[in-house]
Order: sequence, then C-alpha cells, then structure tokens
Amino acid sequence: MLFVRDREVVIPGQPLAKGKIKPGKDVYIDESGMIRSKKLGLVNLKEDEISIVPLVGAYIPKEEDLVIGIVSKISGNTILVDIRSPYQGALPVQRRAEKVDLKKYDLKIGDVILAKVRSFDGASSLILTIDAEGLGKLEGGYLLEVDPAKVPRVIGKRQSMLSILKEGTKSEIIVANNGRIWVKPPSVKELIALEKALRKIEEESHVSGLSDRISSLLSQELSR
Amino acid sequence: MPLYVERRPERLITEEGIRTDGRLPHEMRPIKMMVGVLEKADGSAFVEWGGNRILAAVFGPREVHPKHMVLPDRALVRARYNMAPFSTPERRRPGPDRRSIELSKVIREALKPAIFVENYPGSVIDIFVEVLRSDAGTRVAGINAASLALASAGVAMRGLVSACSVGRVGSFIVVDPNHDEDMWGDSDMPLAMMMESEEITLLQADGTLSEEEFKEALNLGRKAIRFVYEVQKEALKRPYYLVERRVI
Amino acid sequence: MFDQEILTHNLMKDYIRDLVEKGQRIDGRGLYEYRPIEVLDGTFTKAEGEAWLKLGETQVLVGVKADLGEPFPDTPDKGVFVSNAELLPVASPTFEPGPPDEGAIELARIVDRAIRSADAIDLGSLVILPGKLVYMIFLDMYVLDYDGNLEDSLTLASLIALGRSEIPEVELKGDGEIEVKERKRKLELKDIPINFSFVKIGSKILLDPTIEEESVSDASITVAINKDGKVCSIQKKHGTFKMEEILNIVSVAKSKWPELARVVREAI
Repeated sequence: MLFVRDREVVIPGQPLAKGKIKPGKDVYIDESGMIRSKKLGLVNLKEDEISIVPLVGAYIPKEEDLVIGIVSKISGNTILVDIRSPYQGALPVQRRAEKVDLKKYDLKIGDVILAKVRSFDGASSLILTIDAEGLGKLEGGYLLEVDPAKVPRVIGKRQSMLSILKEGTKSEIIVANNGRIWVKPPSVKELIALEKALRKIEEESHVSGLSDRISSLLSQELSR
Repeated sequence: MPLYVERRPERLITEEGIRTDGRLPHEMRPIKMMVGVLEKADGSAFVEWGGNRILAAVFGPREVHPKHMVLPDRALVRARYNMAPFSTPERRRPGPDRRSIELSKVIREALKPAIFVENYPGSVIDIFVEVLRSDAGTRVAGINAASLALASAGVAMRGLVSACSVGRVGSFIVVDPNHDEDMWGDSDMPLAMMMESEEITLLQADGTLSEEEFKEALNLGRKAIRFVYEVQKEALKRPYYLVERRVI
Repeated sequence: MFDQEILTHNLMKDYIRDLVEKGQRIDGRGLYEYRPIEVLDGTFTKAEGEAWLKLGETQVLVGVKADLGEPFPDTPDKGVFVSNAELLPVASPTFEPGPPDEGAIELARIVDRAIRSADAIDLGSLVILPGKLVYMIFLDMYVLDYDGNLEDSLTLASLIALGRSEIPEVELKGDGEIEVKERKRKLELKDIPINFSFVKIGSKILLDPTIEEESVSDASITVAINKDGKVCSIQKKHGTFKMEEILNIVSVAKSKWPELARVVREAI
C-alpha cells in the first residue's frame, strides 16, 4: 500500500508505504510496520523497493568516493585533511609501498588535494589515498561548493549535466562526492556563471528539465 | 529603574471564555514559519508566533570540539536557548541565566529522541535557538523552529517534533497562553510530541491542575500540536513547491 | 575577525590574489563597490528602534533599548550610551557560544567610537535630573550570518535603529517620583557617521570585503566619515599600510559617504 508518489517531496517521519514493498535507503520501519522517511527528500520508487533521495545533508564518506580535501595538519607520517564532513581524513605517507610517488606527499597546510577514500570504519578512522593516477595536489583554479546531496545532479546521467557545465563555460571541472568542485574557468566571468548554475541546480534539482534551464542560464550569463 | 511597568489586567478571562487578546479558549495565535533564512548554518528556520520572533539554526553533523566529548557510537546533541537583550520590554543582560540553561537542556531532550543519533557516530549536532522577540511560549516556538532547522539540514529523524503550550485560567483550559495568561494564569503546561508516533518528548507544568483538568489539557495540547505539525510540514515543503510553480 | 580560521586554502589565496592584481573580484564587483544592501520590513524585536540589515549575504540585527539610571560620575550632564556586539553561533561554524571575545568587543567599540566621536546622539538631551537621573541607551548588535564586513553592516544597522528609536517621555514629580508617560520622543540622529572597511590584497585596496577576501587579506582597516566629510574614527586591524594608501582610503570613503547615508536616511 503506497501513500506517496514517485519523486514526491517528503519530510522526516512521513508515512511512505506498508506491506509487500521493501525498504531502501534513508527510510525506516516503525512498530506498526509502516515504512517512513528518515529525511527531507524525494521518493524514489522502484519495482519492489522504496527509497528516499535526500535533498540536503552532510557528507558521510564511503569507500572509493572521490573527495577534494584541504590539508589541515601535518604531524609525523600522517597528513590530516579536511573533507567537509563530520569525519576528518588521514593521509598516511606510504614510504614503504612500491610505486609510490613520494613527491605527491610534499604537501603544505592549505593545499587542496584530489583523493579517494581508501577506508572508513563509520565512526572515527577515515583513510584517504592519493597514489592513483590523477590524484594528488590540485594546482590553479578555484573551489566551489555544493550540498553533498546534490552531487549526483551536478554530474547528471552519463555526465550530461557536467558536460553542459564544462562546455558552456569552457572550464575544467572536477566534481567530488563530498560536495567540493574544483573549477578552472578562463576568466572570473565564467566562475560567476558557474556559481549561479550550481545554486540553481541546488534549488531546482527536483524539477525536471533542469539541463535545459542550466544551458540557457549559462548562455545568458556569458553573452553579457 | 524600569521604563516599563507591567500591570495585571483586571480580568484574565470573561465568563464566556473571552481572553485578554480576544481569543476563545481553543483558539491559537497566528503562526508563520519559514526555513532557510540563514546562509552559513546547515539548516535554519524562523518562526513568528503571536508576538514571538524566534530563529533556530543547526550545524551538523560535524566534528566534535573538544575532542574528549566524542561519543564513539552516536552523535552528541547539544542545544542552546538564548534570549536577545532586546527581546523583552526591559532590556536583558546578555548571557545565559538559570532559566536559559534549564530551557537549553529541556529543548535538547525534546529533540534528541527524534534524531537517529546512531547514524552519525563520533560527531556532534549543534542546535541554537535565538529568541529575538518574546511573547509567551518561546520554548515551544523554539522547539518547532529547531525541528525545522534539523530537517532542513538533512539530519536523519524519526519525525518532526511539534510543540505547543496549554494553560489554565480559572476554570478554563486555554490553548497557546498569551503573555498575560503566562504571567498571571493558574497553570502553564508546555508540551511537545513527535506527531507521527504520538510520543511526548517535552512535558512541563507549573501551577495546579486537577486530574480532570490535566487530561483535558493534554487532549487540547495534542489537537493544537496536530495543527502546528501541519504548519511545519508546509514550511518545509514550500520552497520546493514555489520552485516548481516558478519553473513550470 | 581575520584571525578566524575559516578554512582558507591555497587555491583561494592564489586565485583571489591573481584576480585582484588585475583589478577584479570573485563576485565581479569593482574594487570600491558595495554589495547590495537590504533592510528588512517587519518587527523582529521589542527594541525601541531596530534594524535587520543584509549586506550581501552578511545579516545583522540591531536593537536599541532605553532605560533610566544614574549617569557616569565623570559626565553628570550626559545620558549613558552603551554598545554591545555578539557574534552569534548561528552566524558561522567558527563562532562558539560564550561571552564576547576580542573580535566582538573590538567590533562594538568600532561602531561605538564612530557614533560617539561624531556626537550622533545628543547625550546632553538625555538628562532628566543632572547627576542623578538620565536615560541609558543600549545598542545591542547581533550578528546573524557572517559573510564578511561586520563593521560596516553593524554601523549602518545601528544608525538606522537609533534613528528609528522612540523613547517614552518621563516626568519628574515634586515628590521625587518618576512618571513614565505614554508620549514618546524620537532619539534623533544629529549626524550619520558611517564606517567604511577596506582590506589590502597584494598591492590593491578593496572596499567591503567578503569573508574570503578578509581571510586572504594582508591588512585591514576601518574608517568612519561623518556628514561633513570628516574622519571621526579609524581602526587599523591586521597588517601594515603605507601613508599614501591610507590617504587614498580616506578619500574613497569620503566619496562613498553620500551613497550609504542615503540608505540610512531612507530606512529610518
């Protein structure tokens, strides 16, 4: 028995469904067997499963996630990294491992790095890595932020939205799972256009046709 | 030396039940709520309730400072209730007084049961309630605002917490006591519930209530809270509906 | 505010510096351009005069309260004027609850100094019985949302709140009793001393810094200008300035005064 429609905006505690359907992400089952939302979000109804896609929320790290971090402290063999999360990341300097480019670890406080989450125990130990190709210190450009819950929308299906942003502003863009976005725009005009586009994505992600609206926003901003 | 002297009204309520602000016993004051009023906070809400103006903000889940307060298996929940110096007719000295400290605790305990603290081990969720203008019922208005701030910050919750006060003036049980009734009435009972599960998370009372009166007050409170809950729901969903209308 | 650890990173520092060298800012403003200023409609406090003001995304709420009391012993013929500022924890993840720290205290004193030096409030007119009974005017400044430049935003909001303030008239009876009347009198502003905050990034001077610009700046200074174009208060904060830079800053501030004074007048 369904009490909501697909893509409906629901609030925490709102009754979603009861009976044969399976509980997915960000929902819970109460004493009476009713499936309820845990968060402010959109209903995501699949064949036999009901989930909530949160509209907003803090970044909780997952293994293999791409994150953009800021080096906050260097002590001994560990580099501490802020990843805009309740959990601080640790980047152990792997002196013994093979094929490690030690130059990558020549970091200063305030440096911005592109890293991957190697492991997270869910509570206190968050280990990052920058060993793979393409990871490491980011040079040049600027950092923008978006609510972590909106990252999938900034990327889009098959990177469609990200392409619109990149081509529309002729910028290099890297979107990380923790809601940080590294951009290298040709000039500050494109940077401002990107900021506006990100705010619009945050506000309108729940209304379809967003890609077209973003395309037209970008051409409007950049034709002035 | 005060520039404002309070005078007790001659009658708090007429025989027909008409209160000093013209309301009947079961009538609530006008309420307006909105979310997203602050940029830097993770979640925020503003409540206008009668003459009350209450701002609530949430930061979190975020890293705990000082580190020794960390709970390894769940989020720490902290709340602070604070009244602005200009929130009352006579200026209040800034800083927490005993009442604010008690209310901070009581507000935390009203909201914590609604939060899935196990989802955020080792972190802290900070709740701030700022009373900018006080007009009786600030703690319940604050709880309503804080619930909205929590939800709009994306915190996982069992449901919203909704609150309202009920009072007794003579033989009348009145909902949402105004300032006169709060000051000179016979009983004041703030109440908060998680509406979906009907669990009570805040219950205080002063003055005296017979068992019958207490039962009547609880029931009236529950009805009032149902109404408040609808106002909260609408406030949370409104930004999204407004965007839909604007875009389509 | 500049020692606040908003998490600056090296990309921010480099990008903003490079932009500023070219005379540009990350939000597209001119170097001496203010962000949009908005004064909200409505009643938000129980103050005698209030203002909720936005400067870009910075938001402040100022309330003026009046009370009666004894004058300070060294000024028996003047009313009492006290300023207080609070960096509310709701305004920034870096603000902790607690009594005002050096940043909040400095802020209050900067606003207070501008108002006092310009004699913007006629403290002499606040005396009821010299040496014994005067009005006490409390200026309470609340920072609600911190996105840079609290000095200017708090000053503007304070001037508006003061200009809007109405205090009850008081009559001293023969028997020494005080009667508070229904009638109110306006607390009139005799001047509009406005604070202008600048930062130096590299070799360039910028007016109305955002929080990012404040955090990457090399130096900062606030200058107050009154209606006669006079400098009535200065506070250099962090870093160093050359003399020519400061003279230029004063000149820019003077030129911007009419624009901001109009905002204050229209809001009152």
